[in-house]
Amino acid sequence: MVGDANRTSERDYVIAAQKGSDAAFAALVRLHQRRAYAVARAIVLSHEDAEDAVQDGFLHAFRALDRFRSDQPFGAWLNRIVANAALDLVRRRKVRDADELPDTVAMPFRDPGESDELRRRLSQALTHLSDRQRSVIVLHDVEGFTHGEIGKMLGIPEGTARSDLHHARAALRRLLKDMRSET
Amino acid sequence: MNDIIRLHDEGDEEVTRTLRKVYAAPGDDAYWRGLEARILSRLTESAAVTVSWWEELDRWMRPALVAAAIVLLAVSVAMFRSHQNAQHMAYEAMLTPTPYPVETAVRPVLQGHREATFRYLMTSR
Repeated sequence: MVGDANRTSERDYVIAAQKGSDAAFAALVRLHQRRAYAVARAIVLSHEDAEDAVQDGFLHAFRALDRFRSDQPFGAWLNRIVANAALDLVRRRKVRDADELPDTVAMPFRDPGESDELRRRLSQALTHLSDRQRSVIVLHDVEGFTHGEIGKMLGIPEGTARSDLHHARAALRRLLKDMRSET
Repeated sequence: MNDIIRLHDEGDEEVTRTLRKVYAAPGDDAYWRGLEARILSRLTESAAVTVSWWEELDRWMRPALVAAAIVLLAVSVAMFRSHQNAQHMAYEAMLTPTPYPVETAVRPVLQGHREATFRYLMTSR
């Protein structure tokens, strides 16, 4: 019931925003920014890039709002846009890093609270996964998205998301085991 | 979420917990209010850029319309003069006597060579 109520108010906000209400769009931002951040954070390498991707995503969504059908779930549509903005950011970063800063790829996580051993090892192991494998494992295991939702967000078939998840987990297990045996 | 538990053994559960810590979103409400403000400010800036683009276009609209009207007028005058000249030349051409007999001069040339020769012989008598 609560979900239905939220959905109804969300639909009202969408319709009002489509008619040009800035306040309604602000309400949509308030409702969805946390989830949008989680989607972006799963794809990009840093908190700052996730923020940029969220802002880009909301800007694209705002510009494309008149093309959105208000009977569809706004969140899923927005998440796809944010994921695309994040993927685009990753691509641009790769080009820039390849040209200028080759060392920045090696240390993607700049979390000051990264103190415990497993967290350190896990962060290191994550850098060995492909961008897509890392995104899939985070979106699934951390954010709880289904394989189908992840496939839509990343523009890959559901089966590919499933197999990416399987390979990402296997790779993480192997990497963490190797690190344990090294220490 | 159930398949996460099914596919993970105990070690993997620990990995998942740590992953959640690594990827945890900021929990502070002030942070989200700040992000919301930044998002909305970007939308406003973008709208302002769009508006100024239209304003710039609007500023050039009047001179562009005047220039287009002048060009259109000049083209119309040129076309009218050219048409008048063509008419005058056609009129002059009609009044100028041809060096050949009228019948030969105005007869279409799409006739057989033999017929043309016969007609020439007939008119030259």
